[in-house]
Amino acid sequence: MKEIRLATKILKTLVKDRIQYPDKLVVDTIGVIARCGILLILYGYVFKLNDGVINGTTFLFAVWSIFFYFSFSVLRLRDISGEIMRDIQTGNIEVLFSKPISYLSYRMWWQVGSGIYSFVIITIFATLALIFIMGLPSTMTMSIFIPTLILTFICGAILSLFLYSIVGLLSFWIEDINPVFWIVDKAVMILGGSYLPVALFPAFMFKIALWSPFGASQFVTHTVYETWQINWYQLVGIQLFWIVLLGLVVYFMFERAKQKVSVNGG
Amino acid sequence: MMKELYFALYAIKKNIQSSAELRTSFLMNIVGMSINNTAFIILWGFFVKSVGVIGGWTVADIIGLQGFVAVCFGIVFSAGAGIRKLADYTASGAFDRFMLSPKNLLVRIATSSFGVSALGDIVFGIVCLGIYAFFIHATLYQILLIVLLVFISTILFLAAAIAIYSTSFFFTDANSVTSGLFELFLTPSLFHGGAFQGVMRFIFTFAIPSLLIGALPVEIVRDVSLGKLLLVSILALCWFIVSINVFNRAIKKYESSNFMTFGN
Repeated sequence: MKEIRLATKILKTLVKDRIQYPDKLVVDTIGVIARCGILLILYGYVFKLNDGVINGTTFLFAVWSIFFYFSFSVLRLRDISGEIMRDIQTGNIEVLFSKPISYLSYRMWWQVGSGIYSFVIITIFATLALIFIMGLPSTMTMSIFIPTLILTFICGAILSLFLYSIVGLLSFWIEDINPVFWIVDKAVMILGGSYLPVALFPAFMFKIALWSPFGASQFVTHTVYETWQINWYQLVGIQLFWIVLLGLVVYFMFERAKQKVSVNGG
Repeated sequence: MMKELYFALYAIKKNIQSSAELRTSFLMNIVGMSINNTAFIILWGFFVKSVGVIGGWTVADIIGLQGFVAVCFGIVFSAGAGIRKLADYTASGAFDRFMLSPKNLLVRIATSSFGVSALGDIVFGIVCLGIYAFFIHATLYQILLIVLLVFISTILFLAAAIAIYSTSFFFTDANSVTSGLFELFLTPSLFHGGAFQGVMRFIFTFAIPSLLIGALPVEIVRDVSLGKLLLVSILALCWFIVSINVFNRAIKKYESSNFMTFGN
């Protein structure tokens, strides 16, 4: 109950803050246009050159898959690494440890809260624009699509938070986690289907994307393809496996990390 | 002019010495950034493999493109990382101390900070350009073109950065605006150059100079196109003059916040 109250309070406060100061929404919108918008226009040209089909995939499927990746990235769950590092470097972690709340839970909800407003607004408008301009593939009109999309989205969000929290917690042992963060982040970017949709992956890369936590955190990009109808439970199962495993890693790392903190007072 | 240059070099030297104090972090940043950048080559390499050659662009050209952009980015944001902090300086009032300095304002701001990770971009970029030259069996003439184009592209990148970050003076909290504008400029420059055709090519050449720092230099080296070289050189000069003017006009908008800070 206490956890739910904390989460609700954080989400409410941050959404109110984002509504009052819409700067982040502006940045996120420009970011989505710069990355996703331009990329889709380029893919339109590329698919046209290839008579509308590449690797058995049409432009419509590629568009939605790429869009789902960029829409998910607006949540900025990856920023949790930097936030944890900043807490440790500035000593803010001492203050947060002294509060009667779970530090990691607080940080995770904070991360969700800081991106949710931009995510909702951008996703709604971009989805409407895409439906109007491109239309919906048949796979997205099936009854199974929405429930499984929500399920894999939630699993992906939890997995991303765990993955990037592990990177952030490394700050207790190394002074600058940025190089580790870049490598993990780029692995997610490549295997998640950002600039290259998963349907265009070579076979070996697709397997890595399927079985690694980096690709699993972005399974939301798989939902638009026809194969999703058949193997969605397998992919969600992979996500759940990684959630349990990385959850345990986060737990044990955090327990060890707490022992390294020395509060100096002042 | 020479005095300003000496000052800039001195400031950069001191910044490097200061950053290198944390040796492990310093080296990890350089290595990490180099590895990080290879992601784009992997991505666009697979793109070429899946989609085929578009606009005459092969994987070698993608490597060349990433090389040009990384070197430009690295040079500008290692030595001149202060430009990226302009929005913070103006918002916090820290800009006051630069205005009181007898040195050239732009040089003083640019050299006020050093980007260690950008050194990784330079290393990565040089390696990429070396591989690119090897793959295309570059002649001496093409190698000289690469060196010349790195210089021109860097000026262009610097000009674009100055113009973008000068907008900091026009907004109360400009961080979001400058980040957005910079993303709009940088992201397309890393995309597959052959896919930019027609209106898109025109926009990202003349309105937003993204293609001028990577895609066009690659095409110039590959096709040994003097016409395009002339175009990029003229546009680089124009952008540089315009950006300096924009900066000089923009600083007149600054109002002191009466913060008294000293030192760097």
